[in-house]
Parts: sequence; C-alpha cells; structure tokens
Amino acid sequence: MTGNANLASGRAATSRLNPANFARARFRAWVDARQPRTDTLLLTQRNVYILPTRAGWMFGLTLIVLLLASINYQLNLGYVLTFLLAGSGVVSMHLTHATLRGLTLHLKPVAPVFAGDPAVLDIVLTSPGAARFGIGLKVSGAGETTLTWLNVPTLGQAHAQVSFVPPTRGRHDTPTLGAETRFPLGLFRVWTVWRPATQLLVYPQPERPPAALPAARAVPGGPTQSRSADGGEVEGVRAYRRGDPLKLIAWKKAAKTMDSGGDLVSRDTSASAHQELWLDWQACGTLAPEERLSRLAAWAVAAHRVGADYGLRLPGLDIAPADGDAQRRRCLEALALWR
Amino acid sequence: MALIGRLASEVRISRVWPGWSHLPRDARDTLFLLFVIGWTVLPHASHLPLWCSLLTLVVLLWRARLAIANAPLPGRWALVAVLIVAAALTFWSYNSLLGKEPGVTLAVVLMALKTLELRARRDAFVVFFLGFFLILTHFLYSQSLPVAAAMLVSVWGLLTALVLAHMPVGQPSLRQAAALSARTALLGAPIMALMFVLFPRVGPLWGVPQDGQAKTGLSNSMRMGSVSEVAQDNSIALRIRFEGAPPPPQALYFRGPVLSRFDGLEWQPLQPSFGPASVPRLDLRTAGAPLRYEMTIEPLRLTSLPLLEAANKAPAIEGYRVVGLPDLQWRTDRPLYERVRFNAEAFIDFRHGPASHELSLQDDIALPPGYNPRTLEWATALLRQPRYATAEPRVLAQAVLQHIRTAGFSYTLAPGEYGDERGHDAVDEFWLDRRAGFCEHFAAAFVVVMRALDVPARVVTGYQGIDPSPVDGYYAVRQSSAHAWAEYWQPGTGWVRADPTAAVAPERIDRGRRLVPAPGLVAGALGNVNPEIFAQLRDGWEALNNRWNQWVLNYSRGQQIDLLKELGFTSPSWEDLALLLIGALSTLALAGAAWAWYDRHRIDPWTRQMDRLRAALQRAGLSAAPHEPPRALAHRVRARLGPPGEPLAELLDTLERQRYSRATVTRPDASLTRRFVAHARALRTRGA
Repeated sequence: MTGNANLASGRAATSRLNPANFARARFRAWVDARQPRTDTLLLTQRNVYILPTRAGWMFGLTLIVLLLASINYQLNLGYVLTFLLAGSGVVSMHLTHATLRGLTLHLKPVAPVFAGDPAVLDIVLTSPGAARFGIGLKVSGAGETTLTWLNVPTLGQAHAQVSFVPPTRGRHDTPTLGAETRFPLGLFRVWTVWRPATQLLVYPQPERPPAALPAARAVPGGPTQSRSADGGEVEGVRAYRRGDPLKLIAWKKAAKTMDSGGDLVSRDTSASAHQELWLDWQACGTLAPEERLSRLAAWAVAAHRVGADYGLRLPGLDIAPADGDAQRRRCLEALALWR
Repeated sequence: MALIGRLASEVRISRVWPGWSHLPRDARDTLFLLFVIGWTVLPHASHLPLWCSLLTLVVLLWRARLAIANAPLPGRWALVAVLIVAAALTFWSYNSLLGKEPGVTLAVVLMALKTLELRARRDAFVVFFLGFFLILTHFLYSQSLPVAAAMLVSVWGLLTALVLAHMPVGQPSLRQAAALSARTALLGAPIMALMFVLFPRVGPLWGVPQDGQAKTGLSNSMRMGSVSEVAQDNSIALRIRFEGAPPPPQALYFRGPVLSRFDGLEWQPLQPSFGPASVPRLDLRTAGAPLRYEMTIEPLRLTSLPLLEAANKAPAIEGYRVVGLPDLQWRTDRPLYERVRFNAEAFIDFRHGPASHELSLQDDIALPPGYNPRTLEWATALLRQPRYATAEPRVLAQAVLQHIRTAGFSYTLAPGEYGDERGHDAVDEFWLDRRAGFCEHFAAAFVVVMRALDVPARVVTGYQGIDPSPVDGYYAVRQSSAHAWAEYWQPGTGWVRADPTAAVAPERIDRGRRLVPAPGLVAGALGNVNPEIFAQLRDGWEALNNRWNQWVLNYSRGQQIDLLKELGFTSPSWEDLALLLIGALSTLALAGAAWAWYDRHRIDPWTRQMDRLRAALQRAGLSAAPHEPPRALAHRVRARLGPPGEPLAELLDTLERQRYSRATVTRPDASLTRRFVAHARALRTRGA
C-alpha cells in the first residue's frame, strides 16, 4: 500500500547534451504523446503491453526438454503432454492479456496532503464483462512489493488505494501509475501505463515539533460578544450544551470523558474583545524561506485546531482573518503555491 | 504401503489439524500442492528403490506438518546434505547416476526436497516444471490409459496450483482455481490436437540406453516350466484383423523362434547369431490364395516377429528391416521397443524345408548322450515292433500321437517340477511316470521321442489361437496363447507340423481356448456372479484400449503421411508436415488476433440496442442525444408525435422498466428492438 515516490526530477542542464539522454527524452516525449493524461482510462489493444516473464522463458525451456525427451524415447504421450502444456501456455497468453483489456481505470479526486505524508490515490476498476483476477496496481517504477492486488467481479467494480509520498510542496502531476497481471499461469506479464490528469496539491511539511502560536492581538472596535459565544478567548471547559458549535468541543478531553462514561466537553470562552491572530512571514525570525513556510503551515494547522480566527501574511499576499475549513484550505494552498 | 504410512501420519497430524476450512490460505495452497506432488510421484513407487519412496513420503509429510503448524522451513545446508546422501544412495542402488532409473530416482528426490525450499515465486515455478518433467517420466514405463488418466489429473492439479499462485487476493476456492485451469487447458486442447497430428515424427535424435529385456512371452530358449509364467499373463501380445473371415483355429499358428538344439536341459535355436548381410533362402512352397491381414504387435522387446504361418515375404514395417530365416522364422534387425502396425500375407496351405535328406537335418536329430535313457529305450522298443521297423516318419508320428492320446496323458497348467534337482531326465519322468503337463512338455517329449526314432524333429514356439470374438474388428492374441508345438521331417514333403498338445487337449487348439490359470480373487468372484458381464466389461475395456493404442500410441510417421495423402499431397514428406503445421499455427494466431480486434469493437448489448433505437428515431425525424435515457425519449415522442407515436413511447417505457426496475433483466429484448424499428419505419412512411 505504501509507495515510494518516483517523480521525474529535473536533471542538470549539461546532461541534455548527451545524445543518450536526448534520445531518452525524445522517447519519453513520444510515449507521453501516446498516452495522454486522463483520469479515466479504457484499456484496449493500444495501451496494454505483454512480454513473457522469466518463468515464461523457463516454461519454454521445459517444453523443449519435454519435446526432446518425447522424440528420443518415441513417447507419443510425451508429445501429448508437451503440446497440451504448449497449448495451455498460448491460451494463457490470451487470457493474461484479456485480464487487463477492456477494464476501465478511474482515479477519484485526490485530497491535498502535506509534504512527507503519503498521498492516497483512490482508483476504481470497472469490468464490462467477465470477472478479472490478480490485478496489481502501483506507482510506476516502485518495487514489486508495493503492488496492491485486487479482483474485479463480473460486471462490477473494485476499489484500490495506491499511496505515494510527494517530496515537495506545490502542485504536482499525479505520478504515472502501472497496472499489471500475470494471471492465470504467470508465464506472461501484461501491464499498462496510466498517466492520470488530476493534479495533486501538496502543502508544505508542517514544522515538527510546532512552534508556539504567535500572540493574538485585540482588535479595537471589534464586536463584543456575550459569554459562551464562539470566537472568544479560551478560558476553560464545561459540559456540552445542545447548540454548541462543533469547533468549540474539546475533542481530546471529550474522548477521555466519554471513555469513562461522561458526556461531551465544550470549551468555555470569554466575551473579550475580538482577537485577531496573524500568521506572519516576518514573525518567523531568521529561518530559511522553506522553513518559514513549514512553520506557517504548522501554525495554520494549530490555529485551525483551536478554532481561532487567523490571517496569513506573506510577502505580497495577505489573507484576511477568518476561520473554518475554507480558511485553512485557502491559507495552506497559498503556502503550497507561494512562489 | 505408502497408503498405510499416509494413514498413520494422518492420525498423528490430527492432533494439530485445525480443519480444512480453517487453514490459512498459504497452508491450504501448500497442502494442495503437496497432495498433487504425492499423486504424481505415487505411481513411481513400484519401480523406485524402497529408500527413495520412504524418503519422499517422509519429506512430503514433514512439509505438510510444517505448513499446518506454520513453522519455518529448514536451512539450505540440511537440504544439500540430504541431497548428497540421496545421490550416494542412488549410486549405491544402480551403480550409476546416469540412465533412466537413476534419473527418475533423483528427479523424485529433488522434487520432494524442493518442496522444503518453497520461499520465492521462482522456487514454486521450479516445483511446477519439475512436476511436468516427472509426469513425462511415467510414460517411459507405461503409456496405458490408466497412466494417462492419472497423469492428466496430475497436470490439472499442477495447473490449478499454478493458477492459485496467481490469485493473490483473498481465499479463492480450489474449485474456482480448478475450473479456471481446466478452462485454460480445454481452450489449449485444439492446439494440442493440431500439433500432435502434424508435428513431424522423427527418429531418436541420439542413442538412448535401452533397458529391460524380454519381460514376457516368447524368448529364445525353452526349459520345462518356463512357459508357465507366460500362461499367467493375460495381457495382449498382438492384435490381428483379417481381410475376410478368419481362418479355422487349426491354422492359427503364429510362428516364433524355432528351437532345434537340445543340451538335455534347454532348447535353443540352431543359429542364434544372424548376420544382416546374408539373406537366407526361404524354402517355401505355397498353394492357393494368400490370406491378408493387418497386425499390431505390442512392444515385445524381441527380434522375433510372430507372423501367421506361413509368410513368404517380409512385411514392411516403418523403421525396421525384416528378414526371414531358413526355419521360416521372421526377425527384425532390432528389438521391437514400440508398438508397430503392418500388413502381411499368410499361406495357410504350404510346405517348406528340403524335400530330400540334407546334411543340415543332422542338427535336428542329435540328442545329448546320457539324458533321458528310459525314453530312448521306449523308442527303441517301439521300433522293434515289426509294423514300425521300416515305417516312414509320418506313420511313426501318428503312432506317437496315438500313444499320447491313449496312454493316460493329461493336460494341466500346474504339473509341478520335472526331473531331478538339476532338471536332468525331465522327459523320462514326464513320458513314462507322471504324464501330466502342458504344451511345452508335450512338444519337448514328442521331439525327443521322434529323434530317438531317428526322425529329424524340432520344437517351434509361438502363439496359437485368437480370442473367439473380435473387438472393433481386431482379434486379440494374448500372452496366455503362447504355445509350443513340434515339427518332424517327412521325406518328399519337408517339415510337417505335429501338435502333440492337440492330441491330449484338442479343445486347446480347435476352439482356441487358452491356457487358463485359476482366476484371481476379484476376477473370480465377478466371473462367478455374472460371467457375461465380466466378459463384456473386459471386452469393452479392451476395445477402448485398442482404440487408444491405434489412435494415440501408434500414431506415427506412416499415419501422418497417410493423412497428408488424404489432404491431397502427392508425395508428402516431413517438410510438408512442418509447413502445414506452421501454416495452421499461423492461421490460428491470426484468428486470435482477429478475435482480439473484434473484441476491441465489441459493444455492450444494451448500448447497441439504444444505438439502434436512437437511429430509428432520428430517421423518423426526432432528435435523440446519446445521454438521453429512454424515459426522456418517450416524453419527447409523446410531445412531438402525439397518439401515433404512442406505441413507440410505450416500448421506450418498457425498456426503461427493463433497465432500471428492481427485477433486473440480463439481456436486451431483441423483439422490442424489432418492433420499435418497424413502428418507426411505419411512422416515417406515413409521414412521407
């Protein structure tokens, strides 16, 4: 289920002059042109490939030995055996190819992840006809052991999850995926190469351990709120009351109390002046830019967790304070795509 | 014995046995593979050394235990040590590591040990391929129907295990994997048949050591008692099919080795060595039309060809050279190690041998001095009678046969041992004292008596008689029909056949009744309960066996050439065969490619139906987009066409129900499509 990243990274400019690299690049470009990026791929003769496996060659060698023995000892039943196995081998070639051919692969939308965390690709395989067995999925180029195996039922669907770890923040192409099978006899390996069109958003890796949140500032003239309303400063906890917003629930505490038979626990907030929390690029001291982004990401996550209103201030970009999932997504996306 | 061992171990295993359905997937698959391997190896137990069978059994059981207990496999060095010991034992058993028997022994041991090393996928494949090789080794010993059936099960089992290994998800049932492997093999069967028929049969590419000598039947020597073993053997020696009616039983003598030399104990042929350069003169005079027949001889592993008496020319056998000897015996240049089929001719009415006395006849009159003195005395006494003193051989032979008929001789298959402890004077004891025996006793005694009467005589061995009724047009000649008779020389005529067994047991010859030993327990019980059913079962089984032999085992280059001739080749050669095979396989490959191409364009039947309905609507002047469901189309039809379009709309509603109601309809309704298209066309013509 876990996959290693194998994203093509930019090579040094000098290697472009190498004819081998040039040829490889041209080949790559040709292959890419043959396989346009798509989120739904129908497997046909044109994009399913087949070659004998090492076991397939061994099988061929075995057949030759059997045939020689049959000739030398004049065994008609030996011929029968040899040709039965040869016929089964030929049929297995077609069956192996037919295991992939006709399938439809579909990639579901991919949720953004933090750099360094595995991104999970949800793939749906649909069979238009007979059941398919022993199909393995993996990120192209990853090891054999990372294959996710599945069967597709007759006229049905199967779900598989393939994960890989994106190395850096930003918007990435989904890695090239590979589906393969050796069913039924393992003499042939049939595979396909799939380049999904979906792009994957990768947030900066949050700093670990996270630095403490910067202090919030009271905003003069902000709306005054009654006690126990949200958005105030946290003072303590109290029992859950019907109508408390979800983000006021102290989940960790609630988990403990509910474990011992208690009820949900909400945060008690004071009705102080409206507070604003600014996550500021400039407040990160002397860190390197990427590390600043990491810290800001960690802060955004922490601020979201405590339910505060927060804004993000990057050089040349200000995001006004707000709260909620949309704010979290907006801030992290800005951090992921900054410069 | 292996079975008992297995049962015993099952009792032992039952303590840790969690039950078949509770086994983890890996353990179940391993046990299944072990079972298949055991099944594949089991028939070898009869010709493997005992240590090998025991070692294999122990290793397989141990591996099963490890699989059930999910215990780690032994280290590699332990296996290497066992393998070295096994190789040493093999050498100790056979004095060699090469050749058929040591090779099979080593292959079995390797197979068993490899199961202890099933770690990676590569190891599994080694087991599978070794398994296929082991299956082939069975055919070195027997290619009979039961062996073929057992090995078919083995192939199926191995393929099933292979399929199981490539179904990594969940716990697929054995039945499912078996069905998938059977499907693969059945789809491959036409390719198998095609290649079997057309693959050019060539001779051995290099010499292989031939093991095993004459296992049964005729041999080149005769001792009293040696034929009795043959008599126990009810298997088929040859099959014969006559053009026309079969000859009478008295004429059905299949001539084998002629034994002229007698050293007092053993009868042997006169000239055991035979140079292929010399083609001896056949002194044969025939009368009447020849009797034509087709004969299929089992691999007797002899050079003697038991042709029906008397053949005047050598039959053509593919790959063999057949030569006739002066004593009317036919031989091949090498032993028959395979089943051969050929056509031959026989002259029932014949004379052979020199008409006048020749020096060579002296060999057929010699008796070893000092043996059987009382029989010689008996002969001398006979000659002293005035009517025999100057009688010619024919009269003397009649007199001796008459003596056999009247002097209380009896025919039995269990006469016991004759002669003293070294086998001396056996004829004396038979001729004068106990007077009970079977064909070889009578033939040998007759020849000794005739020689004592100064008449050249010799023993002829072969087969006599055929099964009373044909199976599939073929009459079987069994090993139990092996026979020994005699010939004496009559001046002016040549050699004359005399069958002293016929004198004492005429039914043995006239009705073709074979030497019948006491039947075995099961066969005896079956025969007692219902002899007819037993005979029918046996005949049916032999018919099946015969077909198997004729169509599968006997299929050789001759049949291939015949096939090509039937296909219209004027002078076929093996190159034609190869070309035909390549052409047929290419056609098959093209057909496969064409199918795949067709498959690419194959559309879901529901989609195809919708396409047709949509096209019909468009022809009728209504727009119909691909994404619109039948309900939307029905709505539009009602809106645009009004009452005349109602049948169309109703059909669309029906389709909607078929596709989306809870009771699923699996296939589109073809009649619905037809009616729809017809209505649409009617609308169009009315509109136009």
